[in-house]
Order: sequence, then structure tokens, then C-alpha cells
Amino acid sequence: MDEEDTDGYKEPCNQCAAVDWGISDEGRFYCRSCHNVIERTREVVDMSFTSNSNRISRIGNKSRIRKSERGYIWMLCEGFQFILQNQADALLRLGVAPQFKDDVLCQMWRLYLQKSQQGYTRNPIRNLRFRGAALDSDTDMDSAAESVLSDNFTDSGSVLCSSAGSNAESSSDWLGSDYSSTGTSASWKRSRSLMTMKKTLALIHLALVWSREALTLSDLLRLVKEGHVPYVTAYEDLPEEMKLCGPDALLFHVESIPSHRSVHKEAQVLVQFLQLPAFPPIIPEALLHPAPLSLRYLTDANLPDELHRWVCVLMDRAGMADQKRHTLDGGLRPILPRYDLQAAALIIVTIKVIFGLDDHTEWDLSNKADSHDDKADMFSFRKWYKLVQAALVEAQQRRDQDTARKQWKGKKLFFVDKRDRLIVTKRRRISENVQMCLKRLSSCPAAVHYVGPSSFQFCWGDENGSDGPSLHHTKLDGVISLSNGFMTPLNLNYWHPPLRPCNPRTCVSHYPSMEPTLPRSFVWLLQLFSFMLDVEAWYLFDEVLEMERRVFGIKTPQIGQQVETRKWLRTEKTNATQTGDPVKKPRTPRKGRNGINI
Amino acid sequence: MEALDEYLGPPVVLEDESDSSDCSSRKRHKSKLPLAKSMCVEAHVESSFHKTCRICLEHVREAMLHHRWQEAAEYMASYTQVLEDRSTVKAQPDKELVWRMSTEILHHLPNATVTDYNIIYERMKHSGFKHYLMICLEHSFHLMLHGDIEAAKHQVSIAESWRHGKESVSQLQRIRLIHAYRSLLDYIMWCEKKSTLSNDNPFESDSQGMHTFFRLASTNLQEILKNPGVWDPFILCYVEMLEFYGDNEEAQKVLNHYAYDNSFPPNPNAHVYLYQFLKRHDTPDKKLMKVLKHLQVLVPSHELMLTYSCLLLQSEKESHTQKALGVLLEMLDFQCWRSNLDVWKCLHAVIHQLLQREERATSVQTQMALRNDWWPALHFTSFHAKKDLEENSELFEVKASLVEILCPGQSPRYTAEMQMLTS
Repeated sequence: MDEEDTDGYKEPCNQCAAVDWGISDEGRFYCRSCHNVIERTREVVDMSFTSNSNRISRIGNKSRIRKSERGYIWMLCEGFQFILQNQADALLRLGVAPQFKDDVLCQMWRLYLQKSQQGYTRNPIRNLRFRGAALDSDTDMDSAAESVLSDNFTDSGSVLCSSAGSNAESSSDWLGSDYSSTGTSASWKRSRSLMTMKKTLALIHLALVWSREALTLSDLLRLVKEGHVPYVTAYEDLPEEMKLCGPDALLFHVESIPSHRSVHKEAQVLVQFLQLPAFPPIIPEALLHPAPLSLRYLTDANLPDELHRWVCVLMDRAGMADQKRHTLDGGLRPILPRYDLQAAALIIVTIKVIFGLDDHTEWDLSNKADSHDDKADMFSFRKWYKLVQAALVEAQQRRDQDTARKQWKGKKLFFVDKRDRLIVTKRRRISENVQMCLKRLSSCPAAVHYVGPSSFQFCWGDENGSDGPSLHHTKLDGVISLSNGFMTPLNLNYWHPPLRPCNPRTCVSHYPSMEPTLPRSFVWLLQLFSFMLDVEAWYLFDEVLEMERRVFGIKTPQIGQQVETRKWLRTEKTNATQTGDPVKKPRTPRKGRNGINI
Repeated sequence: MEALDEYLGPPVVLEDESDSSDCSSRKRHKSKLPLAKSMCVEAHVESSFHKTCRICLEHVREAMLHHRWQEAAEYMASYTQVLEDRSTVKAQPDKELVWRMSTEILHHLPNATVTDYNIIYERMKHSGFKHYLMICLEHSFHLMLHGDIEAAKHQVSIAESWRHGKESVSQLQRIRLIHAYRSLLDYIMWCEKKSTLSNDNPFESDSQGMHTFFRLASTNLQEILKNPGVWDPFILCYVEMLEFYGDNEEAQKVLNHYAYDNSFPPNPNAHVYLYQFLKRHDTPDKKLMKVLKHLQVLVPSHELMLTYSCLLLQSEKESHTQKALGVLLEMLDFQCWRSNLDVWKCLHAVIHQLLQREERATSVQTQMALRNDWWPALHFTSFHAKKDLEENSELFEVKASLVEILCPGQSPRYTAEMQMLTS
């Protein structure tokens, strides 16, 4: 009676090393020779022998609409569809407009399915061969069950357009079909169209840009990190019937939050893959435009509001006020701008122009401002630095602690097959027990617990819990003077790190080698903004260099060319401000390679 | 793109979780996560999960080093997720870290109970097979220290019967240790029984149980003690038990084997135990001296050397007296005997005897020839003189009387001091 139940379990007993198992009345296994009861129970055994109903078998089979005795076999893209939905819902809960999900994300997803030939085509990919996985026996291809909707959506070019009506359909009508490789010739195409967790973020980012929501990519990644948008444990929200199985299930297993750079690259690739038409223009009122975005960062960094005017001046100069710069248009190689980095780079360049940031000028200006400050409303770099540095150190520590305490394993177990399940269950049990024991003894919460999501990293003001007093209202009188009827910064020097030719293919960033030679205030400012955006400092530094080139009108040096530095001069006459602002543009350096700070 | 291909190509990471109850150990290939091309700023690609674990570990370490045990416990509770890591490249160090650090933290938390320790030991034991034996042993030590001998014995017996394919071969040494400790626990129980034996009515005491323990322990110990090694505590238990039952021959055989067998590492304690045993059983001096001779070679500064030299002195043989001189001088070479009155007195007696026999102190001089350079500085400086006078005037006198003989003409300061102070 017990034999068939214990048949699969052939482990030797802990105490007597015999393999002679029986099942007690409560359903627990016990060793017949020494009566040692173990924790294995009959249910565990039963589960592993049920047929694979309701499991995702390896990807490659055509979907069926109805449940059969064998159970419903899901497609990979359906899983991702659920995940995308959940992510979009989370964003909607955070305040994003509903059109983002219904009009934009939905359409983009359909377009993706169409382009990768997983759905909405007349000939979805059917080939079942998939490298590494064994074939399942039910290779029944029901051609009548071909995507019902595919006939409605012919491959008539792009389906997306910015004024599309709401076509929200319930997800149960969506069908995908398999997409396994047709052979080695299509392997590149397949891998390019393969959906991954990182791609979901890229897709969402594109949809956000299209809907012109205020969420930049760094905001999105921050929300993901803090858990407000499901990502790490997204597989938990898949419906009950969908069970992960097979090597492809690992696609849903996440151990890293991708970096800004990698998601941006993915999004770039997606734009080209989907062959999207021109995006809706990023007008200056849109929150992704550098003007409002830089104001947001200025506020977060506790910089005076007056600085925004100068940021706009530089923005004009760099030709970025024009909405064309920011809008992706169709064409062969549309480039997805990095809105957040650009705004931050603009601010850094502005500060560099006004304050010098060469480890001398800004402190001299602060001294002057401090000594002339009667009404205590002048902005002093030193005061600002002290305030922000204290807050930054604390914030970095908090972030470090949060990283240390972040829990990566979800409540539901993640396993890909029978054997994996046993292993994972066992490890989970061990880890949980030890954790409970320690938690009980330390009597303190161990998990991170994030406060509500916020667009701002710091909180400046006079309330309780703020990081410090606000400097937004302070004036720049100490650093700007009136001369010839124009407001000019007192600082007339500008430095730039030495340029050198290099091969853009092999060289990624010169920052690590250059960093010791750069002025410390500049490096600190870079670190501040890279903390706020949660990107690496070298990434921001490259963007700053790029911005400087735009501001000063220098072309990107090609391989082998030396850069003419004399072009830097005499640029006031060009690029007249369109806003008619009475401020004068800051003067560019008088000599060539001036003031390179070593 | 190729990385994605690779990712989906070979099957999945599933290194077998081999633990004490799982027999199979088929290894499979690891799948590669899509690795970013290494950039100049990233030295190696580390997933965020591993980064979290690494940073958490640093926090735990910091907290432990600064004795902030509550904080360490909190971070440790977050660290346990590393045990669920799917990539098992660094699984073993993680398990060991969790085991050792958690128990250390528990030692310092005020409200840790035996149950908590049990939970942690049990769980970590079964998390892998490499550490199973060590964790069992540590668990039983812990129980022993808390007085729960039965439970400790139980743990050790479980460990004894553990088998895991070729792993048990590589852990042979540990298994021996486990056998030895099991016998030690048997001995402890035997002692407990023995104490009840002497106190209570002899008819009620459990001499049968005692015998059982004795048998268990002795069979095991006999086996263990054949292996070369340092088995001091176990030997003592064994000898004690044998003496109790009157089997002195066996005890002596065992001790001799322990002390004189060349395959065993040189162990002065072995000779000490043998000496003590022989002393207890009234052995003639000659045998004692023989044992002590071996000891002297190993540890010239041993405290038994004093006894040895007294024995030699008492024997009234010429060669022995000279030998005694050598022994004593070697003792005094060591700083620890510098102010010991007995040693100096013995030396005085020996020299006295020697001088009675010879006209000139040739033997003394030959012995001192090696030491002339440094003995005066070691024993006979004016600083020593002052100190000895303060602490122990008798010592000073004895030393002063020997100064001239031992170091002729070289340390007038010692006696000069005396003259200065007494005049």
C-alpha cells in the first residue's frame, strides 16, 4: 500500500542509512527500520507525479483555446503580457494617465508581436524546434485555432499613431503563437525579437516617452528598485494556471535590475525594430522637455530658482529648446534621447559656467557673497555645498542600507521543473527558518520598507524630517553682475578636460583615468547628480562632455582628427536667443585650451 | 545578441543540491546570464542580487566587529537569502558563513535559547554535506557545555553513522574525531554513574549501566588510540577507567605505547601521564628516572625536572650527580625558574656534593663553559641582586654562595651589592 507512494523516494535514512520507507497515518514518511520520521509528506510525492496539466511546457507549441486533459499550454509572450499588464497597472496606480496603458502600451505590444511574428500575422511562426529542449508529445497543430484576431489585423504597416482611439481589449482575446527558431539563419532574428524582462522595461519606457509622461527612465528604474513597479518578483503575479516550467522559465527569473544604459540601449533597439513613426513632439510644456525637467532637478538639488533662467539660456545655445531635438522621428536611425541625463548635464554645465568649478573660483565667489550678505538671501556655493553634502552622505548611507536589506526572493517559489522544485523548497525552508530565528531574537524588522514613491530624492524646507533649509529663494547677486545693461556672470573662465583622439568603438569612457585630474568640486557635483539619477558617474560625465560640445558648437571629433579649439571663440554672435531674454550669454573662454585644471 | 543566444542554449543552472539525504551528484552545465561587455568601469559583472549579499555581509561584519549584536542579527536575517542563490558557484562559503556567524551572534544575544541554537544547527547541517560533520560536532559541544549530555551523545551518534559516498572517505579525520568524542561522552556518563555508585546504596546503583558505558568507551578508544595523533584528554579518561577496574597492565601498555611509539608526534604530556601513573603505582625510582629522562630531552624546563634532579641526587651515583647538574643548569637557562628557591637550593646541594668528590670543580666548569657568556647577565647583575634581596633574602644567599663557582671572576657586582647593602 505504501510502496507506490514511496516508490520515488529512495534516499537513505538519516539515522540508519536504510532505504525502507513507510507512510504514517498523518501522511508523513518514516523509516521502517529505525522509525525515524522525516518531514517529507505524501502530498509532496503526489504532486510530482501528476500529469503536466496547467504547466508551461517548453515553448514551442501552438496555443489551444480550450483546456484539454493535458492542460492548457501557454506561450511565453502571454506570460510577458501579464507582466506588462501588471507593470502598467502599477504605473496607473501611481498616477500615470490611463491613455498610457490603453492607447500606447497596448498598441506597442501588439506591434511588437506582429513584428516578431508571434501574433497578428497570417503566418505565425510554428516551427517547434527549440535548441536544448526536448519535444513534447502533443505537437498537435490546430490550424483552426490560429489567432482569431490575426485576420482582423492585417500587416498593414504601423498600427500605432498618436491619436489612436481607445482600443482596449481584454487580455483573454490576445493570443500569441510560438516563435521558436526556424533554423540557424533565423537565430539572430529570433534572438533579437526574444522578449526578456529587461525588454518590458524598455517597452514601458518607450510608451512613457510617447505619452509624454513625466517619468524619466531613471525614475522608472527607481520605482522598480523600490518595488512599486513589479519586476523582481513579477512572476508571482502570473495567474495560477500558468506554471513555469522548462529552461525558458528562467527568462522570468530576475537577479539584477538593469542599468540605465542597458535599458536605454534596449529601447533604442526596440524603436528600430518596431519601426515606429514619429513620436508626439516634446513641446516645452511637456514635462520631459529640458526646461521643466531641469527645474525639477534644480529644486531637488536645493539650487536657487534663478539659476533656471541661465539653464534655459544655455539650452537655447545648445539648440535644445527646439522640440525637434527631443522628439524621435521616423527615419533610418532614430536616436532616443536620454532626457534625464541631458537635463542634469545642462545644469552641470550651467553651474560650471557661472561658478567655474575649478576649485578656486567658486570658493572665492562664496567668500565674496558671504561677506556682502546683509539680508541673508544671497546664494553661497559654500553654504549650499555644506548643506547638500550632509544630506547626500546620509542619503547614500540609507541607500546602501536599503541595498543590503533588499529581499530578492519572492514569497512564491521559483522553479523550473520537478527536481528544481525540491531543491528550491528545501533551500527556502532552511533560509526561512534561520531567518525567523534571527528575526525573533533581534526583534526588529529586517526587510526594507520604502516610504511612498516620490519624484524627489531630497526634501528641503522647514518641516520635520526635511534634509535642511531650502535655498530656492536665494538670489545669485553674488555671482551675477550687471554690465553694459546685460546680466553677466562674474566668472569669465571656463575649463575643459583635454581632448584626445580615441577609437569610439573600443573606448567607452575616459572618466576613470581622467577623474584624478579633475577639480574636486566638479567631481562632487557629478556624484551628486549621479546619485540623484542613480547612474554611474562616468555615464553622466560623458553626457556632460556631449552637452559641452553642443553648447560650444563643436562637432564630435572623428577618429584621427584633432579638435580645433579656436572655434570656441566668438560664439556670442551666433544663436540669438529666441526668448528675447535680456540676459547676455556667458562669454566663452578667451584662449584655446584655457585653464585645464590638473 | 549572441549573449541571448547563449543564454537560451544550454540548459539551466541546476547543480544538484547534494545534502546528507540526497545521493545523486550529477553535475550539469551552468547557463550564462547575458553578460554585458565589460566596460572600463566595471571590473566584473556582478548581479544586483550578489551585490546585495556582498554589501549585507559587509554590514554584518562591521556590526560584529563593533559588537553591535542586535544590528548584526538584523543584517544576518537579511543575509539568509543567499542560501537560496540559484547559481551555486559560491554556495559552500555562504553556508559556512551563515552557520558560523549566526552561532556567533547567538552567543552574544541575551535572549537566545537552546531551541534557537538547535534550529540553526539542524537547518545548516542539512543544507549541505561538506559541513555536516563539523556542524554535528559543534552542536554536540554546545549541548555538552550546557550540560545536556544525553542530547550531545545523540548528536554525536547520528554523526557517527553518517555515510555519504566518497565524501565520507575524505572526511575520515573528522569521523575519527567524532568517534573520539562519542567515547568521551560515554566516559562522562560513566563518571556520573560512578559518582552515584559511591554515594548511594550499592544495591541500587547502576553498575551494569556503568559497565556498558565502560565497554562502549573502551572499545572505541582502543581503536582510536592506535592512530597517531594527540589524544591527551581521551587517554586520561581511558586510563582512569582502566585503573578503576584494576587493569593496570593494560593501562601501562597504553601509556607506554602513547609515549614511546615513533609514529605518534612527540608529546611531552605522554611522558608526564606515564610518570604520574607509575608514581601512583609505586614503581621503583629507576623506572621513574628513565621516564623523566625522556621528558627532559623534550622539555628541559618542565617542572618535573626538579623532581628528576632530586631523584638523581638521592641515588648517590657519580654519573647521576653530574647528570643532575646538567639538568638543573638547563632548567635555570629558562627565565621562568630564575627566582625559584628550590631549584637553586638543589643546585647548591649538587654542587656541594660534586665539590666534595673533586678537588677542582672541573665538571662544573665544563658545564658552565657553554654558558659563560650569558649567565652572568641572566642571573647575577646588580639589578638581580637588589631584586633578590628585596624579595627573598634566602635566595640571595644561596645564589651568592654559588656565584664564584659558577661564574668565576665575572660577576663581582652581585656580591659587591651585598657588601654594599650589608655594610
